[in-house]
Amino acid sequence: MSRIRRIKIHRALTALLLCSLAAWPQTLGQRSLYFTVEQGDKLIGGLTEKNFRLYEDGQPVPFKLAEPESPLLITLLVEYSQASGLYLNDIETAVREFMDAAPEGNWYSLATFSQELQIDVDFTKQKGEILASYGGLGQPFWGEVNTYDAVFDTLEKLELLPGRKVLIVIGSGLNTLSSHTLSDVQKKIEAVGATVFVLGAGSLLRGQYDPYLGAGARMELTQAEAFLNMLAKKSGGQAFFPRFETAYRDAARAVVAMLQHQYRILYESRVRPDNKFHRLKLEAFEISDDKRRDFSVRVREGWRWQ
Amino acid sequence: MNRNQILAVLLSELLAFSVPGPVRAQKPAAAGLPPEVYEPLQQSLQKPYWELFELAPGLEFSHSQIEAMRKHLEKSKETCVRSYKKRAEDHGKELRRVQDSLKAKTGRLNDDERKQMHCQIQNLRALESQSRVLAEHAIPVAYENRKAKLELIEKWPEDLKRIKAEIASGASNQRRWGDVKDIGFRELVPGQEKDIKDGQEAVRQMKMAGLMPPEVENPAVRKYVTSLAQRIGKHSDLRVPLQVTVLNTKEINAFALPGGFLFVQRGLLEAVDNESQLAGVLAHEIAHVTGRHGNKLMKRATVASIIYQAAQIAAVILTGGAATLGTYYALQYGFYGLGLVLSLDMLGVSREFELEADQLGVQYAWNTGFDPNGFLKFFDKMATREGYVNGLSWFRTHPPFYERMVQSKREILFLPHKDGLIENSPEFDQMKAELKKVTAQAEEEEKERPSLLAPVQGCPAPQKIEYKPGDPIEVLCPESGESKSTGR
Repeated sequence: MSRIRRIKIHRALTALLLCSLAAWPQTLGQRSLYFTVEQGDKLIGGLTEKNFRLYEDGQPVPFKLAEPESPLLITLLVEYSQASGLYLNDIETAVREFMDAAPEGNWYSLATFSQELQIDVDFTKQKGEILASYGGLGQPFWGEVNTYDAVFDTLEKLELLPGRKVLIVIGSGLNTLSSHTLSDVQKKIEAVGATVFVLGAGSLLRGQYDPYLGAGARMELTQAEAFLNMLAKKSGGQAFFPRFETAYRDAARAVVAMLQHQYRILYESRVRPDNKFHRLKLEAFEISDDKRRDFSVRVREGWRWQ
Repeated sequence: MNRNQILAVLLSELLAFSVPGPVRAQKPAAAGLPPEVYEPLQQSLQKPYWELFELAPGLEFSHSQIEAMRKHLEKSKETCVRSYKKRAEDHGKELRRVQDSLKAKTGRLNDDERKQMHCQIQNLRALESQSRVLAEHAIPVAYENRKAKLELIEKWPEDLKRIKAEIASGASNQRRWGDVKDIGFRELVPGQEKDIKDGQEAVRQMKMAGLMPPEVENPAVRKYVTSLAQRIGKHSDLRVPLQVTVLNTKEINAFALPGGFLFVQRGLLEAVDNESQLAGVLAHEIAHVTGRHGNKLMKRATVASIIYQAAQIAAVILTGGAATLGTYYALQYGFYGLGLVLSLDMLGVSREFELEADQLGVQYAWNTGFDPNGFLKFFDKMATREGYVNGLSWFRTHPPFYERMVQSKREILFLPHKDGLIENSPEFDQMKAELKKVTAQAEEEEKERPSLLAPVQGCPAPQKIEYKPGDPIEVLCPESGESKSTGR
């Protein structure tokens, strides 16, 4: 190849690269981040922009504090299988307590799952429809508990919707024959902007029978709990595992309180859609008498840009 | 016919029968009737009920011809239902095959392949569910409609003669609640005022449970409906104040709580064609209050049966989508909708109450000055449409539809003649114009409503089986055996 030709090719490639770099956006559009600020058991409200620092992949990112979107889109994803028979009472209590605590004015939907996901009530503002519907479900037909598939499919549906999305998972976390893997679900929750809260079922029973459980069963239950914890932690929510019936009321109220105390940050992300996970860090603090007091922040761990 | 032609015919027959999940209804024999009987009878069965009341006495079909047509309709229904059940099963099998394949291949699929399978699953789900709804609801409803009309053609001429004889002899005045000139002064069931507390409690519970739909805010619509209901109330046997609420839901219904709490849904206002139709429905609801049917129901129904019914209806609400909230609460609290979809027959109480409300409602509409035929005409309209929409049929409830139609018509004929009965008014048309704004706004809000049922992005729209409520059933199961539906 002649030298001139090589130079031409080099120039053409350079031009192409420059063009593509110029065309590449410096930001990937506005991102909305929901979080709560806590100190011990207390939710902290009333903070302003100067009380926060946001980092994306370790780099500080400019942001602004915004009004949380309203109304919320809240989906209850409820395990409803023959296999849940022993703790179906927990599940029912969790659904009832949450809907009792849930404020009017939001969009609510109900999805149940055993073998596959079933949308029982599409988004409605008449929250009573959720309990009326749940009350009419009848006996569960299938014995499978395909939790991974159900969570994956629900997140996929929520992904298509704009606005402030909340997924309330009510179930044991056990998984039988899902076609999606744990890793699939993990990637999905990293990619979808929904906050997940969990009202775990079966903990009461587990407490009673724990001494009699074999190593395999104990491991399975531990994995189930870890899965639910992962969903909440990745998305900036919280998992509750009530160990007595009346604790569901407290857990449901805690979820509602967190939703009511959520802050919203808007920022321009600068990372590329490389299908990799990009870590976020949000600091919340208060300066008082020249002393910095840090708060704990419940926020999603990061984003997977798809 | 040469050898090739014979072969072609055989091959085409073979192909036609080997298509999986066919709609190919077997070609029905023309009911064993000559075309000059079969054709006009079929045409008559496609006419509205109210028109048949006029036409039937002039039709001359023999008992055996009617019986032959009845058997033909029954056979056609079975064939049509069977073909759509088969279709649903075939779609279901194909759905499970694709799902199993997705499960088996899930780790090896790239995004495009996965999307393609998701689209396929979505389409099959839609087709399976449409076929099932048609087989279980729409087709039986359509054929039951035809059979009810056949019954009308068969029995109405004799019934009419009897009615005329009763009028001539004065026996009609002796019927129950025949003292129509004393409406407002007669005592149907004492103690309406005792029901007010129950009604208030029911409203409170509905609100607390978050099940009370939003109200229509348009003052013109509210004012019109309230004033029309009050007008009818004043010309009825009502002894309690009437509280009218217009709910902003697309359901075609109205229902009353004990004690005079009347709820009218937006869908009803949209569905009625004129003031006499709306007046007929409101009068029917008011009759449930004056008859204290809610109170009687609560006395007769055991708690267990109400709970059982509530669960049943909740299941219907689930499967039927926008099904009847009013129905659910009717069962909880003992108030009534139009009686269109209520399966209170399980409690053995709906028959007499619905017939009584039909009779009294017709009287109240007439007494207010409205054409009582409006109720019949609306009933007629809903027979095909509502039965399909709600996935439940009037025909599966008691009293049978024919009986309700005939009893209402009978009562209309018994009523003393009145000149200048109102069919429509400018106020009704103005309300309709205002309602258009309410509907447009509701539809706009509906568009903004988020949905988990949105189709998978990037997939072609799921196939549809082309059948609208009220369409002739031949659209689905043509007698030639060919279907016009697109969603095979």
